[in-house]
Amino acid sequence: MTDTMIDVEEFRRQARAWIEANLERREKVRMGRVVGEITTHEQIDKARALQRQLFDGGYAGISYPADYGGGGLTPAHDHAFREEAARYVTPDFGVVGVVTMGPIGRSIAEHASPEFARLHIPAILRGDEIWCQFYSEPEAGSDLAGIRTRATRDGDRWVISGSKIWSSGAYLADWAMCLARTDWDVPKHRGLTWFAIPTHAKGVTVRQIRQINGGAEFCEEFLDEVEVTAEDVIGEVNRGWSVTQTMLVYERGAGETASATEPRNLAPDLVALARRVGRAQDPAARQAIARAHINDYAQFHLGRRIAQRLQGSRNPDHAVAAYSKLAAGVLTPLRARLGMEIGGPAALAWPAGDEVEARPALDYLNGRRISIAAGTNEVQRNGIGERVLGLAREPSFDTNKAFNEVLRNARNWDGKVG
Amino acid sequence: MDSDATEDQRALLDVSVRFMAEASPLAMVREPERRDAAFATTYRNQAAELGWFSMLVPESLGGGSISGNGVLDAALIAFRRGGLLQPGPFIGTNVVADAIARAGSDRLVAEVLGALVAGEASAAWAVAGAQSAGRLDGGVQASIGPDGAVVLRGAKTAVPDVEAGAWLLVTAASPDGVVQAVVAADAPGVSVVPLESLDLSRRFAEVRFDEVTVPADAVLRPRGSIEALLDRQLAVAATLVAAECVGAMEAEFALTLQYSKDRIAFGRPIGSFQAIKHVLADTSLALELSKAVTVAAARTLGAEDDYGPSAASMAKALVGEAAVDLAQNCFQVFAGIGYTWEHDQHLYLRRLTTDAALFGDAAWHREHLCQLAGI
Ligand SMILES: Cc1cc2nc3c(=O)[nH]c(=O)nc-3n(C[C@H](O)[C@H](O)[C@H](O)COP(=O)(O)OP(=O)(O)OC[C@H]3O[C@@H](n4cnc5c(N)ncnc54)[C@H](O)[C@@H]3O)c2cc1C
Repeated sequence: MTDTMIDVEEFRRQARAWIEANLERREKVRMGRVVGEITTHEQIDKARALQRQLFDGGYAGISYPADYGGGGLTPAHDHAFREEAARYVTPDFGVVGVVTMGPIGRSIAEHASPEFARLHIPAILRGDEIWCQFYSEPEAGSDLAGIRTRATRDGDRWVISGSKIWSSGAYLADWAMCLARTDWDVPKHRGLTWFAIPTHAKGVTVRQIRQINGGAEFCEEFLDEVEVTAEDVIGEVNRGWSVTQTMLVYERGAGETASATEPRNLAPDLVALARRVGRAQDPAARQAIARAHINDYAQFHLGRRIAQRLQGSRNPDHAVAAYSKLAAGVLTPLRARLGMEIGGPAALAWPAGDEVEARPALDYLNGRRISIAAGTNEVQRNGIGERVLGLAREPSFDTNKAFNEVLRNARNWDGKVG
Repeated sequence: MDSDATEDQRALLDVSVRFMAEASPLAMVREPERRDAAFATTYRNQAAELGWFSMLVPESLGGGSISGNGVLDAALIAFRRGGLLQPGPFIGTNVVADAIARAGSDRLVAEVLGALVAGEASAAWAVAGAQSAGRLDGGVQASIGPDGAVVLRGAKTAVPDVEAGAWLLVTAASPDGVVQAVVAADAPGVSVVPLESLDLSRRFAEVRFDEVTVPADAVLRPRGSIEALLDRQLAVAATLVAAECVGAMEAEFALTLQYSKDRIAFGRPIGSFQAIKHVLADTSLALELSKAVTVAAARTLGAEDDYGPSAASMAKALVGEAAVDLAQNCFQVFAGIGYTWEHDQHLYLRRLTTDAALFGDAAWHREHLCQLAGI
C-alpha cells in the first residue's frame, strides 16, 4: 500500500458518480439466487462490451496490480464498488466470468512471469480473454494432484495429451489454464506444471456435457498432442502445486455464494412461493422460510468475517476460506430443499412458464453444484480439520512415492500398509 | 468474538476475565452451596465496579458504555462469561435496566435503575409462564385500578437467577393489553420458589404473585408501543444469551479439539479419523456461523437500527440449535470419560441446552422473525 492510495469512502463517492453516469439500472432487483439457464455467446458478447466500458472507466480489476492494468487498490475498494453497483447492470459472463476474474486471474498475477501477466491480465480485464479451468479429469477430481494428462518437453515446445472433464463454460472460453504432469518419477505433488492453452488450438476438442438441470454448461476435452511453447508455462515447471494452492484459495472464496449486501428481506423467493401455494400462514412453511433467511444472513456475515480475517492480516491463514466454501456447500442444498418443502406438489409439477413454481425444482438441482465443484464438502472438511483445527492427517499411501509406482500399487490395492 | 473487540473493549475484557477466574472458577459450578447470598452480593458488587450493569443505560441516567455500542460491549462480556460458565443475573439485570431506562417513571429511574447500575441490587425478567404457549404475557394476569395501580396474580416459571432483594420485571396480560410492572422479589404477596434445574451454573425459580399491588409509577410506560418495548427487551435478552452461549460453545469446542489430539486409539490420535475430523469441522463451521450472527445482532441492535430485533431473533435461533448440536457432538468425541461427573463436558452440555431454550427457543424465534417481517 502506498501513502497516496485513495481512501475507500472517497473512492466509493467517485465510483457512485461514475456508475450513475455510465451504467443502466437493473429493471428489477434479481430475486435471490441462481437460475440455471446456460450462458450464450450473445450474452458473452454483451458482457465483453460492458467489461470494456468498465475497463476504460478505470473500474475493471480494481484490486489487481496497476502494472497489469488493474486499479492497484485493495479488496475493500473492490467491495465498495460492488456494493455501489449492486442495483446496476454489470458484465455477466456467468461461471466463466467468476473463474476468469477470480482464481485464474489471481493465480496468473501471483505466479506467472511478468511478461505473461502483462500480456494476459490486461486482456482479461478488458473482456478480450475469457478463460476456463482444465483441472479435473475422468480419473482425478478430489485428488487433483493425481491427474494424468501428460506434458512432454520437446526443445522449447511442450506437447500435451490427455483428457479433462467438468470444465465449466469451456465452450465459451478463449483460453484454458491446464494442469499437466511433467515428471512421473517423483511424488505426485512434485511433478505438476500449469500451462495456458488456447481452446481453439490444434488438437483440442471441446464437447459440452448435459447436466442434471438440462443445461450444458460444463464440458469435456480431449487433448491430442496439443503444442504450446515455454512462454505458455504459468509458474515454474514441476512446481505447479503451489499455484494450485493459490488457485483453490481464490476459488473457495469466490463469487456466487454470499450476496454483496446484507440480506434483510425475509427470503423473498420463498415468501412468494408460500403465498402462491396458500401456505404463508402455515407454521411449517413459516419455519422453513425463517430457517432459509437465517442461513442466508449467517452465511453473509460469515463471509464478511472471513474476508476481513484474510484482508486484515499480513500473514493470512488461507485455510479459513474453506469455511465460506463449506457453508455454501451445506446451506445451498438445504435452502433448496426447504423450497421444495414449502412448494409441496406445486414444486413437483407446475404450469409451463410459471417462474415462481418452477424455481424450487431448478434450485434443487442447481444447488448441488457448490457442494462438489471447486472441492467437495468432504474435501473442505478435511481442509478445515487438518489446516485450521490442526488435526493429524489420515495415513497417506501416495504422497512419498513416485507417481508411476502409486498407479501400479493402486491396481493391486489390498488395504495393507507398510 | 474477542477479535471483534477494540482496544478499550479488550482492556475491559481482560480485567473482567481476571475477576471471573478468581471470583467463580469453573470448579465452583459443581458446588452450588458455595454460591450463597453473600457470594452473590460480593460478585455483583465487583462486577458493577467493572461497569457490567451500566452499558445499556445512557450517561444522562448514570450509565455509559466504552465503545458507544452498549449492546456490543455487553455481548463481548457475555461471551467471556459463557466460556467460564459464570453465574448471576448479568442478562436479567441488563435487560431490566435497559427497559427502565427507556420506559420507567422518574421514581423507577431514581430508586431502581441507580441501584442496578451500582450493583446494589440485581434484577430478573419474569417472562415465561407455564402452559402459556410461548406468550410473553402468559401466566400472570394484571387488573388495572382507576388510579393506574396494578394488581398481579398468577405465576412465572423458570425465572433465572432471582437473588435476594432483586427487582422483578413482570410481563402480564390485562384486558387492555400487555402490562409490564417492576416489583421487588420480597414484596408482600410475591413468593420465590427455588426449582431444580438441568443447568448447574444458574439457578431458576418459580415466582408466584398472589394479589400483588404495584403502584402506578412502577408500571413501564414506553413512549412508543408496548410491543416495540417488548421486542427490544426480547432482542437484548436473546442477543446476550446467544453471546453467553457462543462463549460456552467455544470453550467446550476447545476442550474437545484438544482431547481429539491427545486421545490415542488404533495407534493414532482419534482426531485423525475422518468420522471425528468431519464432525469437528462441521461443528467449528457452526461455531463460526454462530459468532458471525451474534456479533451482527449485537452491532445492529446496539446501533438502534430497526432491524435489531430481527437480527437478534436470527442469532438466537441459529445459535440455539448450533449449541445443542455442538454439545451432542462434543459429548460423542469424549465417549466414556464424558459421562462422568468429574469431567467438565456435562457442565457445558447442561448450560448450552438451557441457553438454547432461554428467552425463546429456535422455533419461537423463527416464528417471531416472520411476524417482525410482517408475514
Ligand atoms: C457443476 C460443476 C462444475 C465444475 N467445474 C469445473 C471446472 O470448471 N473445472 C474443473 O477442472 N473441474 C470442475 N468441476 C469438477 C469438480 O472440481 C470435481 O467434480 C470435484 O473436485 C470432485 O471430483 P470427482 O467428481 O472426481 O469426485 P471424486 O473425487 O471421485 O469423489 C467422489 C466422492 O468421494 C469423496 N472423497 C474423495 N476423496 C476424499 C477424501 N480424501 N476424503 C473424504 N472423501 C473423499 C468425495 O467427497 C465424493 O463424495 C466441476 C464439477 C461440477 C459438479
